[in-house]
Amino acid sequence: MEIINIFFVVVIAPVIGGLLFGLDRKLTARLQKRMGPPILQPFYDLIKLFGKGRIAANQFQLISVSVYIACTILSLILLATGQDLLVLLFVLALGHIMLILGGFSVRSPYSQIGSQREILQLMAYEPLLVFMVIGTYLKTGSFLVSNLMTGSYKPLLISLPAFLLTQIIVMAIKLHKSPFDISASHHAHQELVKGIYTEFSGAQLALIEMAHWYELILLMGFIALLWQTNLIIGGLIAFACFLAVILLDNISARLTWKWMIRFAWTFGVGISVANLTAIYILR
Amino acid sequence: MNILQKSRAKSPWILHYDAGACNGCDIEILACLTPVYDIERFGMVNVGNPKHADVLLVTGTCNKRSARVLKNLYDQMPDPKVVVAVGACALSGGIFHECYNVLQGVDGTVPVDVYVPGCAARPEAIMEGVMMALEKMNQR
Amino acid sequence: MSNFIYYVPLSIILVALILAPLVFAFVISIVRSDYLCSLIIIVIAAVLAISSLILFARVTITHQIIHYAPGLIDWNLLVTIADFGLMAMFIRMGVRRKSVLILVFAVIQTIILAWVEFGPKHTEMAYPPIFIDWLSIVMTLIVSIVGSIVAIYSLPYMREHERHQNLTVSKQPQFFRTLLLFLGAMNGMVLSGNLLWIYFFWEITTLCSFCLISHDETEESLRYATRALWMNMVGGVGFITGIALIQLKNLPMDASRLLQLVHTGNEAHLVALLMLPMACLCFAGFTKAAQMPFQSWLLGAMVAPTPVSALLHSSTMVKAGVYLIIRFAPIFRHTGLSEMVAIVGAFSFITGAMLAIGQSNAKKVLAYSTISNLGLIIACAGLNTPLALAAAVMLIIFHAVSKGLLFMATGVVDQSIHSKDIEDMQGLWASMPLTSLIMVIGILSMLLPPFGVLIAKLAAIESSIQNPLVMAMLVIGSTLTVVFWTKWMGRMLATNPRADGRKRESLPALYAGTLAVLASGAVILSLFVKPILENLVLPAVANYYNVAGMEMTPTVLSAPWLMIFLVIALSVLAPTFFNHLRSSQIKPAYLCGEQIASHSTTAQFLTVADSAAEMTVRGYYFEKVTDESVHVKWVTIVATLLIVILFGAVYLWK
Repeated sequence: MEIINIFFVVVIAPVIGGLLFGLDRKLTARLQKRMGPPILQPFYDLIKLFGKGRIAANQFQLISVSVYIACTILSLILLATGQDLLVLLFVLALGHIMLILGGFSVRSPYSQIGSQREILQLMAYEPLLVFMVIGTYLKTGSFLVSNLMTGSYKPLLISLPAFLLTQIIVMAIKLHKSPFDISASHHAHQELVKGIYTEFSGAQLALIEMAHWYELILLMGFIALLWQTNLIIGGLIAFACFLAVILLDNISARLTWKWMIRFAWTFGVGISVANLTAIYILR
Repeated sequence: MNILQKSRAKSPWILHYDAGACNGCDIEILACLTPVYDIERFGMVNVGNPKHADVLLVTGTCNKRSARVLKNLYDQMPDPKVVVAVGACALSGGIFHECYNVLQGVDGTVPVDVYVPGCAARPEAIMEGVMMALEKMNQR
Repeated sequence: MSNFIYYVPLSIILVALILAPLVFAFVISIVRSDYLCSLIIIVIAAVLAISSLILFARVTITHQIIHYAPGLIDWNLLVTIADFGLMAMFIRMGVRRKSVLILVFAVIQTIILAWVEFGPKHTEMAYPPIFIDWLSIVMTLIVSIVGSIVAIYSLPYMREHERHQNLTVSKQPQFFRTLLLFLGAMNGMVLSGNLLWIYFFWEITTLCSFCLISHDETEESLRYATRALWMNMVGGVGFITGIALIQLKNLPMDASRLLQLVHTGNEAHLVALLMLPMACLCFAGFTKAAQMPFQSWLLGAMVAPTPVSALLHSSTMVKAGVYLIIRFAPIFRHTGLSEMVAIVGAFSFITGAMLAIGQSNAKKVLAYSTISNLGLIIACAGLNTPLALAAAVMLIIFHAVSKGLLFMATGVVDQSIHSKDIEDMQGLWASMPLTSLIMVIGILSMLLPPFGVLIAKLAAIESSIQNPLVMAMLVIGSTLTVVFWTKWMGRMLATNPRADGRKRESLPALYAGTLAVLASGAVILSLFVKPILENLVLPAVANYYNVAGMEMTPTVLSAPWLMIFLVIALSVLAPTFFNHLRSSQIKPAYLCGEQIASHSTTAQFLTVADSAAEMTVRGYYFEKVTDESVHVKWVTIVATLLIVILFGAVYLWK
């Protein structure tokens, strides 16, 4: 069973992730009354990037990308094999921090400012994820995903509704969607060129892109956990959240990092804590 | 055509550099991004960063200063890469041809693969030019 | 082997751990020879390390708690006399430094001490004063090994330090005398069970830290040393008051019997009497561990030479504060006092991390991070479950190693670039690759998996679930921690792409050796964190609380740590060794095509009229949001209030 899970995670997850990103580009184009690229576009981009000649700024960039994708896949494997959620989050954070360090390792104004802002993005979403994990602990008495899946609990969403909202915020921040596309953007160039990704190119950029696909599946997996009794329903909820993030991306403009931190730490942390407090009281 | 070549043909990321144009051609390039032409349907993205780009679109004629920048940008692009010169000025200097400070066309600075004529070049022509450049890239 | 360990008499181990450093401290101040001094330090370091390991092996093999009464002379009398001698020295320092605060606190302590020793209540001193259990062993290992490494490191450091000062007479003998005294006193403190003995050694560490901070005898260092002295004497007043209260209520005067009271379980009324003295002892612990609002002495202490900071922050001094709180934690379990200790600690954790974000001085960042981490340890002690206490002990160990490492590396960098500013460390990855690699390992070991600090932190969060306020503070504090460490690493790594790559760096042997030992220690200890925790720490903690097993199995440990370790190691090593960039593949950073020249830390681009301009990039410090002068005010007020509430909790919230 574990082997099947791991196989699914390593091989199938990026395919689904890539298709979802293709859908994202198509939907965004349709919302702007454009035709948009084919659904398979992310795969063309990826293969092309892998085929580019190698240029880099230093050896550390290669290390940072390698740790980033390894940690992202590892955390998805931890989720699929029912391991500790808290450990998973910090493995994910390690990957993210290594990517940030890769951005920092080049003395380029764009990549430097992008990396500084990426730290702020990390700072904005990290507590929201940890609070959600703590919420699941309060309902199930364990950080283990396997415990959550095998135990006979009601769907978590019923007692943890606030976390659906915070997970949408987390997803938007993590995927650099407006209004949180502060350190880098998916769309054509902006004032930071490509922010933290500016100095990565070729295969390194392809690996980062692939890590994003894994990340998307991981985030959707988190949301699906909120309806752990039936993962098909959970998956549909996660897909709805993804669509919501795309919609949000298209109807909002980028805001400042100060606004992002304030929003995530007042609204996001606020509703998380309120939900947790409610559980403490009702227990 | 193998899968890598197909992917290259379907995912050209563009770096646009204005070496000294009247902005006519630049506006036509921007027009390509609009819903009317929507170059993204061919997978084209305007990346604005040489390290990510496959296709260098140059408009306007080079002068001594912009030639230096153009050379630097070209050097920072990873292989395989193609250059498309857009508009009369980029081709030969255009109306600036006899000016004391211009270097008659960009092909003296970087190797140009496709020349897109016009003053200004039409969006359809620019897209066609990029397509031809991609074919050329895959034939190498 | 085990026989050998068993046949070394306990008295010799104790002499080696406590008395030998004290004796050699005086030898050093007499001989006044640099070479002899170096020799003595290295020998003492080896002796300390070996004897602490023997003691460790002995206690782990036999699973015994050792009570021991030293013979030959009346040691209690000696401690009493030396205690008053210390008080006299404090008063003299108060007079010499013209500090009313020092004088006042010294006099108060002397009066209370005199009351305890000669007052109406009888001081029963017959119980063996040496008390060695697992906690003492952990502390002895840290003091003797990490402390010794710092001492060896300071040999080349102090030589270099004095080269710039143009002194006529070297002050190194004084320095190393105090250093050895410090190590001996720390060992003495953690190995004694008698409260008056602990107090005596506690005050010696206060004195030693004063001498070390004021070592350079500049205006600034004297001012901060004075501040450190009076703040720690406030803690001393709290300590001796606690002792006096225990005596007043006719309770036993040593740690082992106080802990016994809890274990027997039918002496609840006596335990209730202990709450106020315990609050006093916790208060003393807060001052020494530089918790808010007493943080300023530790920040001021950074004027001292870097080895002093390495010593104060990693293995001695501040760890004495947390040791005291952990030592008595089972006694105030399930009380309001415990809750408040957790909140005070968590408050320091979050505010320390917040204030560290705004700092660009490396030593200041490290100081705030120490305050923050000690806050976490104290919060764990306040959460007061076996798992939390195990997390606290793991944090003490890993923090000692990593923080010692970071301070020492900062010292090496300081002597090379003559700056402690993080902004000046930009591009260190290219100019000092070895040192900056060690610093990056040190920083990563402070905050990320698979290193020990993070695993302990996860255990702390897990055990804080029952206490929502503390939990929220721990979560947000951890996030803030990530910010300042990542920024710092980013500064060091920021180099210009250059085809000629990194240059080789050669460090003096003693620097390279000590740094390498600590860095590999951080990695290797992290590799074995699971067996250490499962086989050594958790059973000991369960025993300590006198509970049969764990009340909660930590799921953190069930994670496949070995696999995580392997995957991360592989993903780091593979591109390092098997994927080398060729120099033709290295391209300059994107500067809109205008770049002209770059060296490892500077880059130029052409600007108006073809003139060259320097490209500068700097870190974010969020000055407006994290302004220290603004925040310290309210932090001090809130922290003071929390401590007042802590004393209130003793009465109101049982």
